[in-house]
Amino acid sequence: MAEKEWGRLPEPPREVVLRVKRYDPERGRTWWQEYRVPTYRGMTVLDALLWVKENADPSLSMRYSCRMGVCGSCGVVVNGVPRLACQTQIAAVASRENPVVTVEPLHNHPVVRDLVTDFTAFFEKHRRIIPHIVRRDMREVEEAEYEFLMTPDEHLSIYQYSLCIMCGLCYSACPVAASDPEYLGPQALAQAYRFIVDVRDEGYDRRIAIVDTEHGCHRCHFAATCSAVCPKDVDPAAAIQRLRRIVFLRRLGLWRKRKVAPLAGPLEKPLRRIRAEYPRHNLVEGADPERQAREPVDIDFREEWLRE
Amino acid sequence: MRASTLQLLQYLSAMALVVLLGFHIIERVPGLSPLTPESYEESLSYEVVRRAYKEYWWVLALLLAAALFHGLNGLRGILLEWRPAAHRVINLVFVAAFIALLAYGLRTIALHLAG
Amino acid sequence: MASEERGRGRLLHNMPGLLQASLNPWLVRVRNNPERLAFVLHRVTGVIILAYLVAHIFVTSATVDEALWESVMGALSGPLSRVGEWIVAGAVIFHGLNGIRLILVEFLGLGVGRPERPKPPYVPPSLRSGQRKGLYLVFALSLAGWALAGVIMFAG
Repeated sequence: MAEKEWGRLPEPPREVVLRVKRYDPERGRTWWQEYRVPTYRGMTVLDALLWVKENADPSLSMRYSCRMGVCGSCGVVVNGVPRLACQTQIAAVASRENPVVTVEPLHNHPVVRDLVTDFTAFFEKHRRIIPHIVRRDMREVEEAEYEFLMTPDEHLSIYQYSLCIMCGLCYSACPVAASDPEYLGPQALAQAYRFIVDVRDEGYDRRIAIVDTEHGCHRCHFAATCSAVCPKDVDPAAAIQRLRRIVFLRRLGLWRKRKVAPLAGPLEKPLRRIRAEYPRHNLVEGADPERQAREPVDIDFREEWLRE
Repeated sequence: MRASTLQLLQYLSAMALVVLLGFHIIERVPGLSPLTPESYEESLSYEVVRRAYKEYWWVLALLLAAALFHGLNGLRGILLEWRPAAHRVINLVFVAAFIALLAYGLRTIALHLAG
Repeated sequence: MASEERGRGRLLHNMPGLLQASLNPWLVRVRNNPERLAFVLHRVTGVIILAYLVAHIFVTSATVDEALWESVMGALSGPLSRVGEWIVAGAVIFHGLNGIRLILVEFLGLGVGRPERPKPPYVPPSLRSGQRKGLYLVFALSLAGWALAGVIMFAG
């Protein structure tokens, strides 16, 4: 998600008030709790939550893992916007005039406790669209001997969508998922598109049948909030619109897969084995020239690489 | 019926509506209307309305069908989001309302053509 | 709040619901997302137009008899129904213009940009490509068209 002050955040206020929406599953009680948290430059919302857990209230529950926006575990709603807690700077959401940061569990996912949400249904929807390469001959994948050939352009057409980390922020922001629990959701639909247009894939008809239902891609109304909140710039809104175009054209018999990637197969020319030369100057620390001379290394090269 | 068939009809009826409803609205604008009313008030006088039914009855019939389908199917989508479990009832009500309102509207047009 | 039994605790169902989702464009307080406002307006205007359409079908059935039609028109000539008509006109104008944009975007997949390698400031292609310019055009033309409709209806 684009940050307005990208790259030049002000100092955070000395102390922020963290308003956390809490839920106790045993008593079925929901309440707001406030914590005063001292801040430092570079503090994230996840840091603040962990400070609360370590210093103020050990009963506060949240989910996190990598702390660097890779695992997608720490999605929460900060000041009304679904965000990754680990990627949200306190300075970006609180100011000296308004030092209150509200933190809620993600919407549209059932809450297990406090900020921990249940992703079972969300992952189940992802699984339903067959999120892996499907070939007519599945042995090409399961007993793979060679890779599929793909040009850089073909890779670029799916690369953006393959960045998805399944953090569930798009699903939490979606106005359709806000009332329809059966809606597949932006994440699963974007992944369906990603695999349908993947040149290595041949399972498009199965996926189109899964997506072309009353709770599939036709329930999307292009509110585009999914793309606006995505922390990885995956752009599910665009993917779903292009997916619908494919579904409609397929229904009218006007769409077919232009190209299916072939297997790479064995090389036309055998590789040439070359005795590697060790560098004689600027030796790596700990390298032993005598041992290197005793144990030579062979490298397999293609002819045309050698010419260059 | 596959969901994409209904959704395709939704878009096709939308495209038809842009033309048909455009004509239907222009009928009321003095200066542009083919029914030549003298003013905006005048455009709803009995003679002008009756001429609209006599001369452009097919526009009205197409418009009725397209608008009813588009509107009721849109409402069906909203209701499906609201109560996904009740999809059977929602689809039934959609079909019943479409047929009933279409029949009632066509009856008005038929009465004009007859008398 | 509905909840479901799972293990020892209960899961809390945390969904804002249909009314919140379709009436509140600021349910998610994210910047750079006028498409959400357009979605809410499209849905609200759609329901307004459908209500008008059903009423319109019944009112126009009075045209089969001249005296009945004159009495119905007399009953519907007050300033209140005129203002209501103007609101429906605005709804039709917005729904139609935004509908043209939605046909291009949802049906033909146009105006949502090309997939790219994400780079700072990380604004996704669909939020800065043709459909966004079209959306601003839709908002501007709708306001202009609504004003024009007001001139025709109240002065004409």
